[in-house]
Amino acid sequence: MAKYLLKRIFYLLLTLFIVITVTFFLMKLLPGTPLQNQQKLSPTEQHLILKQYGLTKPVWQQYLTYVAGVFHGNFGTSFQFSDQPVSYLISSRIGPSLLLGTQAMILGVIPGILVGALGAIKKNTWVDTSMTVISILGISIPSFVLAVLLQYFVGLKLQWFPIADWGGFAYTVLPTIALAASPFADTARFTRTEMVDVLNSDYIELARAKGLSKWGVIYHHALRNSLIPVVTIIGPLAVNIMTGSMVIENIFSIPGIGEQFVKSILTNDYPTIMAVTIVYSVMLMVVLLITDIVYGIIDPRIRISGKSN
Amino acid sequence: MRLSRILALSAVSGASLLLLAACGSQNKRHLARSQTLHWVESADLPTMDPSKSTDVVSGGALHNVDEGLLRIGQGSQLRPGVAKTYQVSKNGKTWTFDLRHSKWSNGRPVTAADFVYGWRRTVKPSTASQFAYLYDHVKNYDAIHKGKRAPTQLGVKAHGPYQLVVTLSRPQSYFKYLVAAQAFLPQSRQTVERYGTKYATNSSDAVYNGPFKLTGWQGTNDNWTLQRNRRYWNAKQTKLRAVKVQVIKNQGTWLSQYQSGKVDELMTDGTQYRQLKKSPEMHIRNSASMFYLEFNQRQGFFKNNVDARKAVALAIDQPALTKNILADGSQAPKGLVPTQLAKRGGTDFADAAYVKSGTTYDLQQARVLWKKALQQSGRSRITLNILADDTPVGKKTTEFIQSQLTKLPGLKITITNVPFNVRLSRSATGAFNMVVSAWIADFPDAISFSSLFTSHNAYNRGHWQNQGYDTDVQNAEGKDANDPDARWNDLVSAEKILMQQQGVVPLYQRSQAQMLKPYVHGVQYFPTGAQWDFSRAYISDHQ
Repeated sequence: MAKYLLKRIFYLLLTLFIVITVTFFLMKLLPGTPLQNQQKLSPTEQHLILKQYGLTKPVWQQYLTYVAGVFHGNFGTSFQFSDQPVSYLISSRIGPSLLLGTQAMILGVIPGILVGALGAIKKNTWVDTSMTVISILGISIPSFVLAVLLQYFVGLKLQWFPIADWGGFAYTVLPTIALAASPFADTARFTRTEMVDVLNSDYIELARAKGLSKWGVIYHHALRNSLIPVVTIIGPLAVNIMTGSMVIENIFSIPGIGEQFVKSILTNDYPTIMAVTIVYSVMLMVVLLITDIVYGIIDPRIRISGKSN
Repeated sequence: MRLSRILALSAVSGASLLLLAACGSQNKRHLARSQTLHWVESADLPTMDPSKSTDVVSGGALHNVDEGLLRIGQGSQLRPGVAKTYQVSKNGKTWTFDLRHSKWSNGRPVTAADFVYGWRRTVKPSTASQFAYLYDHVKNYDAIHKGKRAPTQLGVKAHGPYQLVVTLSRPQSYFKYLVAAQAFLPQSRQTVERYGTKYATNSSDAVYNGPFKLTGWQGTNDNWTLQRNRRYWNAKQTKLRAVKVQVIKNQGTWLSQYQSGKVDELMTDGTQYRQLKKSPEMHIRNSASMFYLEFNQRQGFFKNNVDARKAVALAIDQPALTKNILADGSQAPKGLVPTQLAKRGGTDFADAAYVKSGTTYDLQQARVLWKKALQQSGRSRITLNILADDTPVGKKTTEFIQSQLTKLPGLKITITNVPFNVRLSRSATGAFNMVVSAWIADFPDAISFSSLFTSHNAYNRGHWQNQGYDTDVQNAEGKDANDPDARWNDLVSAEKILMQQQGVVPLYQRSQAQMLKPYVHGVQYFPTGAQWDFSRAYISDHQ
């Protein structure tokens, strides 16, 4: 296991390095500068400002400086916020994003599994049908549409929760629901399909024949086995939530990194775009790593060790 | 083009300042118990450093929490700021400001030395200020900015703690507007040096000398508050206890927040404007920015062909463009200089210099002139290209112009929409037939536009040249610089020449359509620079 982990971490770092390199050179291809008022600045003035940001050096030198900086946690200075280190920008904004992402993950996955399982157990009853309808809605309504609907009906008309802004648990409710809808629907659908298969398998028959209680069979044998494939989709779900958060944070005016990412793209704030891309990549890679580890824990057959050869 | 990028700071407009709802009302309304205004910005606050502010958000915040030598008052009047009075020498080059005894928010006195320090800091090359060029008339600016002289050589001296003497290298009649701008604010040396690189990157690492002080800004967050500054010399005039500012980047969210009463204003987008334009809460805010069509007159078809340029101008229906195509509150122009930018004796510059043929639509006349123009160049048909930004508005504009100009006989129009930077570089090198350009005034004086089209100005992309125009602008900046009447006439005459010769075709004046709650009064709007002044605003009883 340790060897496996080390190998995975090595690949993770390698991927990260490639991500940094590719993002860096892609950004260099784009026509953006920290000059806010280019039309009115003389060439001398422009040169002076670019020099402050280290942009007058050759590109390979900028690249080396950047990579060295990144591994020391220094992502440079923002073009948009003057004198503000990008690392501070991200650290001050990552909290809301993580909180929202975690809440949405929990709200999506756990009820998703329960509802999916219930649908499978009560297959072809009204419970199953309504679950299917809900999950199809959850998959087909984009998060930003749901967000606007929630804002209008729950926020503006019913006034149950704040429409936007950030400042306590009440403010997280609507964006969490908007973000969680699609993971919820995915998990529910996936769990249901798996559960139906498992419930029809021989070992469930055997467990029943041994005289275990209905719920005992479901909990100990059926649910656990149907969760294995469900764990595989947690990675893609995390991606889903991360990309969704860019739009959702913008709609609900949440001071997170998703919202900042969009803003940075609009203002050509390349240091921030690069840094947020790297942060997203790291988060994603860590989620995938954790999924793989969890996978091994729930299914001993998949546990990878040096012995397989 | 994204205007917010060029909107930027600059002199606060004196001209065409609009007093909002309270305007004209003699009776004092009952004040509401809660004097907190809920304002919205659509972008983050990137800095509070007067030397580094380039955008409207920081420009607006600085205008309300700090105060320069002068402050813009109602109408086109400059109000005294930190300076009680000022005198200009006969040759227009020496400006003497007498300062009042006033205090920073930390209790220390605001002195002439704070101005000297702040100004030197802005022009110092290592500060890399993006607005240092506003100092170009101050003595030794060029040499200092190029690093050839020390910042201490800048033409500004403190004579004792309460007198500031500024020496200009050449007269500049609008210098009075500049000293009200952010780039000319005082800066406390003690504060700047104490906080170093952290100076003004959050609300506590700075000091304030204006009607408000900033609180609750950690440098990157989406909320901050302008709190009444009790140490401000004129604090008893400030009625608002606080202005709570929230960043909302999504138009739909902003509308919901406005409708639910959580915020007191809404800058509408095109769709919202069309739905809400009948509302009594709707206000049109003209900005000091103009979009115009430039002809390449370096060589080719438009060179020395005034008929061709006039035909193009007559074939474009500006009111149709603003009302039907843009439909966001933008206004059809009267000339190159925007309306409400500059006024004299109650007359708007744009009215004084109005040339009917310059911006009216007359297709018949356009066709006649176009045929003449083709004859003159010895062709029967021609294909011309229009260069413009690749923004949605840029595309709409070019498509509209294309549809209008194809009505001219023998003319085929192609369009090229490119990113902002590409447009700038192609304009600069003359790689275009016609280009849609934009300009925003840094200060409320017609010269901010008139100076663009002198023969050797770098922004005269099409190289339109006219002797009379050059002389007029030169006089306004030279021999008439200290004679307001003569100067006004020079600039009016220049603008008339530009329109009669159709050096450019004005297309539209950018405006914003704002919804404002009826209980908000006295918020002042400026078409240039900082945009909003809350120092006289108040909230009336509306329960």
